[in-house]
Amino acid sequence: MWTFIIRRLLQSVVVILGVTLISFVALQIGGDPTFLFVSERATDEEIELIRKALGFDQPLHIQYLTYLGNILQGDFGNSLSYRQPAMEIVLGALPATIELTVFSMIFAIGLAIPFGVFAALYRGTPVDGGIMTLAMFGQSIPNFWLGIMMILFFGLHLKWFPISGHVPLIMPLLQGEFLTAVTNIPKSIYYMILPGIAVGFYSLSRNARLVRSSMLEVLSQDYVRTARSKGISERAVVINHALRNAWLPVVTMVGLEFGFLLGGVVVIETVFSWPGIGRLVFTAINQKDIPVVQASVIVLSVIFIALNLIVDLIYARIDPRVKL
Amino acid sequence: MLRKKHLLIASAAGLLLAGTTFAQASGDTLVVGLSADITTFEPASVSSRDNANVVRHIFDTLQSIEGDGSVVPDLATNLAISEDGLAYTYTIESGRTCHDGEALTAEDVAFSFNRAKDPANAFTGNTPGFVFSSVGFVDAVALSDTEVQINISAKNQIAFGLLAEVYIHCKDSYEKMTLEQAATTPIGSGSYKLESWMPGSEVRLSKVAEPGNFQNIVYRIIPEASTRSAELMAGNVDIITNVAPDQIDVINDSGTSAVQSVQGTRRMYVGFNLSPEFAAMPGGDAIQNPDVRRALQYAVDVPAICSQLLNFPCERMTGIVNPPNANKSLPPYPYDPKKAEELLDAAGWQRQADGTRFTIRFQAGRGRYLNDENVVLAVAQYLSDVGLKVETDIMEWGSVYVPLIRKRNVGPLFFLGSGGALWSPLYDMTDLAKADSGTNYTHWNDPRWFDRWTDIAASKSPEETRVIIDEMLKVFYEDGPWMHMYFQPDFYGVSKRLNWTARPDEKVYLFSATLN
Repeated sequence: MWTFIIRRLLQSVVVILGVTLISFVALQIGGDPTFLFVSERATDEEIELIRKALGFDQPLHIQYLTYLGNILQGDFGNSLSYRQPAMEIVLGALPATIELTVFSMIFAIGLAIPFGVFAALYRGTPVDGGIMTLAMFGQSIPNFWLGIMMILFFGLHLKWFPISGHVPLIMPLLQGEFLTAVTNIPKSIYYMILPGIAVGFYSLSRNARLVRSSMLEVLSQDYVRTARSKGISERAVVINHALRNAWLPVVTMVGLEFGFLLGGVVVIETVFSWPGIGRLVFTAINQKDIPVVQASVIVLSVIFIALNLIVDLIYARIDPRVKL
Repeated sequence: MLRKKHLLIASAAGLLLAGTTFAQASGDTLVVGLSADITTFEPASVSSRDNANVVRHIFDTLQSIEGDGSVVPDLATNLAISEDGLAYTYTIESGRTCHDGEALTAEDVAFSFNRAKDPANAFTGNTPGFVFSSVGFVDAVALSDTEVQINISAKNQIAFGLLAEVYIHCKDSYEKMTLEQAATTPIGSGSYKLESWMPGSEVRLSKVAEPGNFQNIVYRIIPEASTRSAELMAGNVDIITNVAPDQIDVINDSGTSAVQSVQGTRRMYVGFNLSPEFAAMPGGDAIQNPDVRRALQYAVDVPAICSQLLNFPCERMTGIVNPPNANKSLPPYPYDPKKAEELLDAAGWQRQADGTRFTIRFQAGRGRYLNDENVVLAVAQYLSDVGLKVETDIMEWGSVYVPLIRKRNVGPLFFLGSGGALWSPLYDMTDLAKADSGTNYTHWNDPRWFDRWTDIAASKSPEETRVIIDEMLKVFYEDGPWMHMYFQPDFYGVSKRLNWTARPDEKVYLFSATLN
């Protein structure tokens, strides 16, 4: 197993290098970013001065190599908009996104498993039909629309939940403010409910369908029939024999989905004014804040790679047939 | 079972507790919903309007420009301009301090100006990038504790207004700060100080001096327009900026808030790029002829675009200058497609067998201005109606369109807005201060306009200057490089509990806001 982990970590370095190169080139395709940081009335001399100060006067390959050299020394550069270390800004936004993603995954998985199991157990009944109809809606409705509708109904009309905003939970912990973090828990969850549901609804629907089909397949296997014939209760058969095996494809999906959600909740973060990394990257791309985009890409790549590795390890753990 | 029940009760209580902590506006707290994030509190790095609207409450300026364009004293009680127009001497009010208690003197004012110019700091904000470039700032010198002299390189009749945009801070505190500290922990000179800043989320200010009627101002960053509207109608914020036109009626019907619609100072126009490169392109040759450009002015129904797409009865521009300072003898071009066709025929661009006169590309950015994409499509349709074959090219604003604009390489037709002001016609006209100036995106070089700038510099009285301005504006009206569109309306959602009036210049200043 350790050989596998070391090999994967070495591969990860190559992947991250490739990702930084691709994002660097992509950001340069749009042209010289200097123009976004000078007044339209600036003279050619003033533009040149700023270009030099921002480091855009060097050839592209020199800019890239300098950037890589700085990364090795832990220097990810300063944000062109915030004038602060880019990595600090990215790490400042990351906890909010992790909070939202974890909450939405708990919501999605927590409901997808019972929904999928019930749909499979009651196949062809109104229960199955109702759950699958809901799942179809969940996969069809754009999450930003769902978010706005929930804001209007639950936030504005019923006033049950806050319309937008964020109460930090992880950040106070990281800053050593344990008491603040604990005090913030109810408020933090309260603010997470609407955006968390908006983010997780698609995942809930997809995973419910996945659990259902996986359960249907497993329930028809010989070992399930054997378990039943041994007189084991139906509940024990479903939970201990069927669900454990039906769970395998879901684990793979959940691990990958978590990584995708970390970088892909930009729309929901915008709708709910959630100060996360998705919104930060979107704004940084528009402003051509290259250091922030690059730092975000690296952080997200590392997380994604780590999640993939963890999924593989978990998979090997829960499925004895898989050897690393 | 009992334990489970307790847990449920505790959870419900927790949520109930959380429910009482809504970000509500209260008696001493004014909450503003902004669409864009605040990126810096470094006075010399501020460039966006939203950022400036927050920072202006933290830093004072030498003078202030009011919403109606009048100039009033702020830190400076007096201004004396030298005879050659190159030295501006301000008298600073004594007894003023910065937020850390340091006395604010002329030396601090001079430091604020010189620090912004220091190339070692590489500041790119409005002060060094726009103000200093526009006035030709040389340096600032403290003549005494209360007198500071600002030196500029050439006489400039609007320098006083531009210098009024520079934020003033104290020397000792800022000399001790790193650039990173200055960007995050400002020590200001204004009536509010920064209490806390959560990037991407909110900014909290608290009052430390007059003017200001609220003890706290909270700016919440709410990028999505419908979410901002919902927060306003729910009573969680008092003012929101950039209300989407399609939400105006909903807000007005809410009973809790209303939309203030103001005709802004931003001039929206369709530019004719007259550069030799574009003259060689299809349509680029046609628009070289002023008669064609004038014909196209009649082809577009600007009031209809305003009422249908912007939900506002705009006034059609008659030129480059905002209405109070415009040449009042010039009427807006009416919508008269028949006349447009006659003029195009007379200019030698008759309809061909396929019904078109000439093909022309129309470029624009997306998402920067109010309903910009639809406005561009409407203009293209109007031009098609009089026989032009218009190829619209609508592109991403920041990384694609802006670089083209800055290189003056967009067109032959292009859609753009340019910020304006009410306090001087010359401010609006300086977009075209020189034929090769960076803001002359059209490459227009008519000497009847550009040669008159020397006459303005030499004029002896405001009346004499006004005559020259009117003559220039007539040239611009008849043969200019802009298809005159409208002054972009601004929509602010305002809670009914608040007494506050929006300004036309996009400045959201809250000093005079009171509760109803």
